[in-house]
Amino acid sequence: MGVAAALAVLGALLGGAALTLAVEHAFVRIDQEAGPARHTELRHNLQLPNADRWLLPAGPVVALAGVALAMVVLPLGPGLIGRDLGIGLFYVIVVVDFVVLGLALAGWGANTPEGVEACYRIVAQLVAYVVPLGLAYVGVIMMARSLSTVVVVDAQRGLWFVVLQPLGFLLYVVTGLMQSYRAPFLEPFAASLGGGVLGVVGGWSALVWRVALAGVLLVVAAVGAVLYLGGSSGPWLPGWAWMLAKTYGLMALMLGLGRLVRPLSTAETLALSWKILIPLGLVNVLLVGGLILLGVGPGA
Amino acid sequence: MMAAFDILAFGACSFVAVAGALGMATTMSMFRSGIFLMASFIGVAGLFILLSADLIGLLQVMMYIGGFLVMILFMVLVMHDPGGAMMAGMELSPLERWFSKGLVPRDEATSAGQDDPASGEGRSHAGNRHEGHAMPHGEGRHGHARDHGGGAMPHGAHGGHAEHRHADHQHGDGGHGGMDMSMVTPVRPLAAWLAAAAGVVLVGMLFLRPAWPVTDAVPDPDSARRVGNLLMDKYMVAFEGAGFLILIGIFGAVLLARPSTHPDDPSRAAKAAVDAKPEAIRDDRLAPLAEAGGAPEPEHHGSHHGHEDHVG
Amino acid sequence: MTVPLTAYLVVAALLFAIGVYTVVAQRSAVMVLMGVEVLLNAIGLNVVAFWRFTAPTDYSAQVLAILVVTVGAIEMAIGLALVLLLYRQRRTVEVDAYTDLNG
Repeated sequence: MGVAAALAVLGALLGGAALTLAVEHAFVRIDQEAGPARHTELRHNLQLPNADRWLLPAGPVVALAGVALAMVVLPLGPGLIGRDLGIGLFYVIVVVDFVVLGLALAGWGANTPEGVEACYRIVAQLVAYVVPLGLAYVGVIMMARSLSTVVVVDAQRGLWFVVLQPLGFLLYVVTGLMQSYRAPFLEPFAASLGGGVLGVVGGWSALVWRVALAGVLLVVAAVGAVLYLGGSSGPWLPGWAWMLAKTYGLMALMLGLGRLVRPLSTAETLALSWKILIPLGLVNVLLVGGLILLGVGPGA
Repeated sequence: MMAAFDILAFGACSFVAVAGALGMATTMSMFRSGIFLMASFIGVAGLFILLSADLIGLLQVMMYIGGFLVMILFMVLVMHDPGGAMMAGMELSPLERWFSKGLVPRDEATSAGQDDPASGEGRSHAGNRHEGHAMPHGEGRHGHARDHGGGAMPHGAHGGHAEHRHADHQHGDGGHGGMDMSMVTPVRPLAAWLAAAAGVVLVGMLFLRPAWPVTDAVPDPDSARRVGNLLMDKYMVAFEGAGFLILIGIFGAVLLARPSTHPDDPSRAAKAAVDAKPEAIRDDRLAPLAEAGGAPEPEHHGSHHGHEDHVG
Repeated sequence: MTVPLTAYLVVAALLFAIGVYTVVAQRSAVMVLMGVEVLLNAIGLNVVAFWRFTAPTDYSAQVLAILVVTVGAIEMAIGLALVLLLYRQRRTVEVDAYTDLNG
């Protein structure tokens, strides 16, 4: 991947993150919402008294690196992709885990009771989302017969997968909200924890966190558009315009639906994941398998 | 050019792998130990990618990052000094001191006087602020460990330059009323020699027997497809067996970790806490509709012991 | 391949040695489990290095690596459950306190 492509990917990330913040302004009340959508003031860097000197600054950097790496395989248009890895979708799941790692590092690194509790809640949410998210991906991968994002977009030329796999789409919306730590899965950033990780940042960390957390929502919505909404395919407009519209449409849908539910505590999130989402995911895989055997979906 | 890149990439990844493993074994902070292990596994994943086994490399990263994060949380739960704060104030060998840099030594009695030059200036007045705060990292249930004041702790061995003590493995024993805070067992010298011997034997075998049938064939770039075909075709039994094993493992782990049904068992007191309902969204018009759900409670069948006096 | 097979095997050998040290020398049961994971990782590296250099067309080695990773994860899960149980009984995770489990 050349230097120009790398810079283009970073530029897309920054532009996308800015647009994400704009969309969030439209859909959430920024000052009253907890979590990553809250307006994190850019203030002086806070000096926590016992902060772990290596781990606390490493948190936002790791999170941003994760998001930037994930942007590499997103097909923003036909031919507009950083690098088409053969195992692109698997790579995306792996790399977005780094965002969670970054949040956990920052929580522990703050070396306060609230920070450590935030670290526990963040990892609990990771445990909650990862298996249902994988099951939501698996349905699409089964139909498209490939892990590459470009091939998945191509396979939806006839019919978008959201029509064939509505259950998988619903699963993706819910786990996408968990993955990007937006409402109603905001417990790691609750006011009882003083805002969790984001409550004690300032200076350059705050800026990097803003970009990283807006970026993760962007990546989640973009991958959802690729998986279920056909990516950059569409009749009249150019590919990138469709991708933009689908990404932000899905983001608006996710944020709007998330706001309708009251915030769930961590125990409730885990219970939701284990008791409802995983069985639904398995049912989804079964249904998709049945559809493929019946010959529905992209050929061969 | 590509050759230089290959060698550079190999060097970087193997350095990260070995240094991470070494850091895991020697650092004083449990959390950092887990992070070093993650770094080591990411280094090995890089080596896998260099070996054209990209599926295995990514699989390794995916599984182990999540897995080790959870394992770190377990360690923090059960260990006395997960942050390394209490250990950081004691005598350490130079290797351990290097990997424990940046940890704030938690010395109870006096404070900023004993500044550890290796820890840099990131911590100011470390001692003073601790008196009133709860200490999340170094917290143990053994309050008596802290009663022996800083005087008993060998601060005299000023940080970075402690002797490499193979013989003395009872770190800070004199000051803790018999509770040995050491991270390593008394067989540490034996272990170090054993590890060195294992390393020497393995590497020696490599240099004395280099006659493997190395071929020049290039693997198929679409390894995911090939591996998938093999799993479904030739190794179906192993695949299904692994699935079954995972199921049994999950059942076993959940069963083992449930609170005991004996009424006097101390684990009964550790019921999972169900959080109070989190703060609601302001003027949430749909709130009455959301009341129908409730916080689910952890089920433990031991609870019926308490209800056996109810009739009907 | 500019980097020879022996180089990868040396790295695996070093990781194995560090894993042995960790398993024998660490006092906390959870650290011992981490050492076991390092040992398994070294084995996986060995398998994949041999695969790449001697039989790159037969993907059985990758299947073995996947199974090793799977079994390692399960062993870690059960091991942590056991550590939790022992901790509840004995209030410590130091392996010195578990010596009566011998034999």
